[in-house]
Amino acid sequence: MNAIEESRVNTTVIDEIISRHKGKPGELLTVMEEIQEASEYKFLDDDAMEYLSSSIKVPLSQIYGVATFYSFFNLKPQGKNSIIVCRGTACHTKGSKILLDDLSLLPGCKEAFDSGESSFTTEDKLITVKTVACFGQCALAPVVAVNGVIYSNVTSEQIKKLLQNLKEDNKDENLRLS
Amino acid sequence: MGEGQKMSTSHLLKRADFIFKSDNDWEDVLKKNLNRTANELINELISSELKGRGGAGFPTGLKWKISSEIKADEKFVICNADEGEPGTFKDREILSRVPFKVLTAIAVCAYVIGAKKGFIYLRGEYFFLKDNLQSAIDEFERYCRKIGFDFSISIFMGSGAYICGEETALFESMEGKRGEPRNKPPFPSSSGYMNKPTVINNVETLAHTYTIFKYGSKRFYDLGVQFSRGTKLFSVSGDTPKPGIYELELGMSLVDFVEEFGDDDTKAVQVGGASGFLVPRKRFPETTIGFQGRLVGISLPTGGSMMLFNSSRSMYNVLDNYLNFFAEESCGQCTPCRVGCQQLLKGIKAVKRGEKNAAYLDKLLKLAETMTYTAKCGLGQSVANSFSSIVENFREEMIY
Repeated sequence: MNAIEESRVNTTVIDEIISRHKGKPGELLTVMEEIQEASEYKFLDDDAMEYLSSSIKVPLSQIYGVATFYSFFNLKPQGKNSIIVCRGTACHTKGSKILLDDLSLLPGCKEAFDSGESSFTTEDKLITVKTVACFGQCALAPVVAVNGVIYSNVTSEQIKKLLQNLKEDNKDENLRLS
Repeated sequence: MGEGQKMSTSHLLKRADFIFKSDNDWEDVLKKNLNRTANELINELISSELKGRGGAGFPTGLKWKISSEIKADEKFVICNADEGEPGTFKDREILSRVPFKVLTAIAVCAYVIGAKKGFIYLRGEYFFLKDNLQSAIDEFERYCRKIGFDFSISIFMGSGAYICGEETALFESMEGKRGEPRNKPPFPSSSGYMNKPTVINNVETLAHTYTIFKYGSKRFYDLGVQFSRGTKLFSVSGDTPKPGIYELELGMSLVDFVEEFGDDDTKAVQVGGASGFLVPRKRFPETTIGFQGRLVGISLPTGGSMMLFNSSRSMYNVLDNYLNFFAEESCGQCTPCRVGCQQLLKGIKAVKRGEKNAAYLDKLLKLAETMTYTAKCGLGQSVANSFSSIVENFREEMIY
């Protein structure tokens, strides 16, 4: 936890982000997105939200309300690599549940999803597994996004190989699903 | 097309190619139409009988007309690209393949209503479209400056909430708030984004207005059937040998559709995504795809999602998937939807596990109907569409 506490977004960074968007309508979402992006573990920590609240004079409740409303915002530290499985109906029909089950073999993952969590991060912060309602790529189902790149017609074998590659070493070329 | 004697066909599937036709004449179309009067353009749209392609089907010409007649210091045009309905992916394809048609349409709309600013509300999950779209906008704005048309367009990225496709929730989100739908009225045409008159149209609707402004309303009106004029993009997925996007004339019968896209084992088709209707095989002949108003048979509107299921699919699993989706995406503002979605999900699980008897399904159907009448926005109101059509037609699959 210490490394994560130390990684919190610097207030000068927050000030800079705020001043860049000041006065624009709807700035709150953009500012929050950029603060999250600026954090090492891609999440909004309590201190950052409190600081933002007092700086822009928006009640913390509203900021927290926004952060919990949109699936884009994370309130927990995220892993270095993200794997997002589409759970849309077309993907479901084409077996996305099986892919999710493969990923659930990561220790603790199954329990997290079973208890209603929508995302799971491994303890070593290497991998975050998430689901999305629909990627809009239904003709290519099932689809999985790995670090922002969307892959289509994904098979169980590919997912298993991906996990294997992640475990063994962590070079980016091994993250491609092929 | 199959030649077999499967079922009698009323008329065959009619394909069209307007939207994705790659004609590089947007500059001419824009210039030509900016030289016409606002009234001429509105009348062109009204006589085309184009209805909104996002699923709700409001007459587009009327929408523009209302906003154009209201006096305000500021007005906005918003292109709704928050395409989140599971099984729909046409807007993504339009924006990546023919962005200039959409931009031109946004600009013409701005000219008609007197707006200086347009937005594209792009779904957060479509982050991969953003860079290309932005360069298209840059080029488009350069041309607008060149011809002396004062107009700019910005992309607003969504942050991952299905409900923000609902127009008033979308405004809330653009204003930096939780995307919770507003009460209507007032409608966006008079009070939308920042409480200013706003025309908000789906990506595909705008792309069709381009077709109309280019070829004239008659060309569009002559396609389709009464009450459902023109063409529509369909996102075909599920158990089909040829998933993808197809532009077809409205008013086709589901029999023809399934003959073209089915795998000879189609048991049901979900028309309109999770918030749409499931049509079982026995209802294919009497069902057509288009807006309501037909005198005979059932006419189903759709945002374009057509998902086919074959006999290997459990409709219980499909419904479970939909209800999980709704329970997750309900914004939580109104009780019927927030609690209703969860109770429906819990209910079908209990019946499946045998903890509740089959008659409990009737209670759930009543609950779904109640949601239709009491939920605040289209999300909660439409849960009953898929719920009731699946439970009523595949009751045995819910139980055993």
